[in-house]
Amino acid sequence: MGKSKTASSGTGVRKRGFLETIWRYRVLELMCLPAVIFFFLFHYMPMPGIYVAFVKYNYRKGIFGSKFIGLDNFKFLAESGKLFGLTKNTILYNLAFIILGNFLAILVAILLNEMQHKMFKKVSQTLMFLPYFISQVLVGLLVYSLLNFDTGFVNEILIALGKPKWQPYSDPSVWPVLIVLIHLWQQTGYNSVVYFAAICGIDAEIIEAAKVDGANAFQRIRYIILPSLRPTIVILLLFALGGIVRGNFGLFWNVIGSNSVLYPTTDIIETFVYRATMSDFNFSTASAVGFYQSLVGFVIVMLANLAVKKIDPDYSLF
Amino acid sequence: MKKKLLAALLSASMVIGTAACGSSGTSATPAANGGDDGGATATETAAEIDTSEHVVINYMTTGDPPEAGTEKEANLNAMLDELNKILTEKVNAEIQIYYIPWTDYLSNYNLTLARMDGSVDLVGTASDWLDAWPNAKNGAFLELSEDMLKTYAPKTWESVPADHWDLCKYNGEIYLMPEDNFAQWTNHGWIYRLDWAKEAGLSDGVHSWEDMTKYVLWVKENKKDLKYVWDSDGTQYSQMSNGWIASHTDFVAVDGICSGALWGGKKSDLYTVTTPVMTETDSLVEYAKLMKQWAEAGVWPTDVLNNTSGSNRDEFRVGDVAVEQHHTQTWTDLCSATPANKIFQDDPNAEVGIFYFGEESKNVVALSITHGAMAISAGSANPERALMVYDLIRNDKDCYMLFNYGIEGVSWELDENGLRKTPDSYDPDTQNINGMTNYWWGRNDDLEVKDATRNWEAIDKLYAEYDKLKIDYPYGQFVPEVDSIQSKIDNCNEVYTNYMKQISYGIYNGSAEDIVAQMQADLKTAGIDDVTAELQKQFDELYK
Repeated sequence: MGKSKTASSGTGVRKRGFLETIWRYRVLELMCLPAVIFFFLFHYMPMPGIYVAFVKYNYRKGIFGSKFIGLDNFKFLAESGKLFGLTKNTILYNLAFIILGNFLAILVAILLNEMQHKMFKKVSQTLMFLPYFISQVLVGLLVYSLLNFDTGFVNEILIALGKPKWQPYSDPSVWPVLIVLIHLWQQTGYNSVVYFAAICGIDAEIIEAAKVDGANAFQRIRYIILPSLRPTIVILLLFALGGIVRGNFGLFWNVIGSNSVLYPTTDIIETFVYRATMSDFNFSTASAVGFYQSLVGFVIVMLANLAVKKIDPDYSLF
Repeated sequence: MKKKLLAALLSASMVIGTAACGSSGTSATPAANGGDDGGATATETAAEIDTSEHVVINYMTTGDPPEAGTEKEANLNAMLDELNKILTEKVNAEIQIYYIPWTDYLSNYNLTLARMDGSVDLVGTASDWLDAWPNAKNGAFLELSEDMLKTYAPKTWESVPADHWDLCKYNGEIYLMPEDNFAQWTNHGWIYRLDWAKEAGLSDGVHSWEDMTKYVLWVKENKKDLKYVWDSDGTQYSQMSNGWIASHTDFVAVDGICSGALWGGKKSDLYTVTTPVMTETDSLVEYAKLMKQWAEAGVWPTDVLNNTSGSNRDEFRVGDVAVEQHHTQTWTDLCSATPANKIFQDDPNAEVGIFYFGEESKNVVALSITHGAMAISAGSANPERALMVYDLIRNDKDCYMLFNYGIEGVSWELDENGLRKTPDSYDPDTQNINGMTNYWWGRNDDLEVKDATRNWEAIDKLYAEYDKLKIDYPYGQFVPEVDSIQSKIDNCNEVYTNYMKQISYGIYNGSAEDIVAQMQADLKTAGIDDVTAELQKQFDELYK
């Protein structure tokens, strides 16, 4: 974000020609280049492929040679009668992830920032970061080893304590909490890095000045750090909102898997579509669902941005 | 304003980009379209076939590849070297194996076919468990004209009778070369320890679900050192419920509509579409209650649906469990005193029986000939040579032996009765070629050599019993046109699967009556009646 701002401010210098401007900022542009190439290759080139959602795809005829069937591929979602429940689950989980996730990440970043002991700071940061690197498949197995009824670690402890055993894999009501906890455990360390970096970027002089003026740690957080983080928070929230109808498929699929007892509270759009379309292996239906999610995501981002702009134009994305 | 529009587009692309990314495999596929129309002209004869260019034929099969660098892989390669010498000499081609590992095999199998980039030539397929017809419809398989078959696979062409070729046609074109000359039974059942059943008082073995219940409950009580009675991984719900239905009705399912056997006919009335899951309410309630009883007794792990780490069959081989649910072909292995089946070495009294689904109602359907078949990928650059290679592997004795059994004297040898046995130096972990080539798409009883380690006495007895009961699979010619009802089929299958998991493993909340009623109500909402009506229409067109 910062980069594009610097680059665009360059166009403001009237007297220089376009080419000259390009030449002048060549280093910055070069730094942008990998990202530009990446987005072009993986986000712009495939876009015409969205057409596959409207055809009866035939391998040999290709996407544009296959028969056009209009919205037939979208019928599947509507006919399932589950669209509302699935979208609700997906959005609620994502809201929990976004709100709690950002809150925790900010909290952790601030705590890390206030930590004086360097060694302790590094170690705790690393430890919190580690779960992010654990594959979702392993997370699923870890959770099963902890929670399963027959041999699970938690139940072993409960038995040792003389308490009755706990059977979470048959109880849909506990999973919203468990899933959110697992997600936070995995993501908080990673998310906090962005905020931590933003805090590090705050002008040290301001904080020094506040100290001299007698502001205590809480006051510094309240009146300097949090307000300085506002742009970062808003941008990250807006980004996250765009994905609000996408679920964390890996997490849900590996932790819940095919346990249909738990579906009422854990089924999200992705897992449902994966299960239901696995049986007929249909690119077109899958793309139709992807398109639906993109559309809803796009509308939500636009609305959220509009709202942000109404409140404070400086913080909106565009 | 311009800038705003650009920004809006950018953010749209960000959101969409990820969507398109997920399906980016599709956008890459249409380009490669190598040997689309084969190039086999009618006038060519075997003598004139141009084989001057040496080609590599990739044979795609499901199964886990031997790990690279292991002795197992070296043994496989040694066999392939021998085989490729013959293939090079005869048709100037060599064969390579392209594995689709078992994890998520169906989606990887379909994805590989969708690539159409010539990475595979020969494709092992099946109409009931590997989506042969959907792939043929999607354009993944090459149409095999009679001329092509006569020219490049003459022996196969001759050995398969015309009415069998008819069963391999869709829209008048042949897509599959069937494994139609190989006796095997893949009807499912409960595989159990016959010696323990006798201890439990079932002197004649298990012959009904009631016997089976008695057996599992007895084992749970009396064989305390087992890991589980059945270390199920939660995926057998559908076979179990199909088994229950087969055992209590004369229902015959139509293959290849969806993973659950929801639609079919009755032996007494084959061409009227029925859905036992909707009509056999009382029986299903009884089933739900019985399975709850098994679950509460602790026959399988409590969290069975999340139990992905078990490997029940291997545990059965070493005596850690007492039940396996699979088909007769698997039983022929498990009931035999092979080196891998350690129960027979540990316990001289060990015996393994099978209670096959349908035994009570005498409802056994013979295997469809397209349960195993070979197809040619439409993306193949050398379909003619692929056919020639297949013709040799299927019909040439030397090639067949190498590909199926391995090198004689290393992986197998003949005993004094002319049966196939393993040499003394044989190591089942590294020299089992049959378990690495996974050639289930054209085995040939004319060339098969009976395995001396198999328990033929028991197997032949059961096969004779089957032969008396069986009817041929009646719907071989029926390839349903499902485009208009696909979404309903998917939704029905999804509903059925979700409920049947709970019913078959007895982990539903509430009463058996309620769960079955709920399932039926949800199936109705999902459109099961519309699907039935449409299938009936297509049945009528074909059979009336």
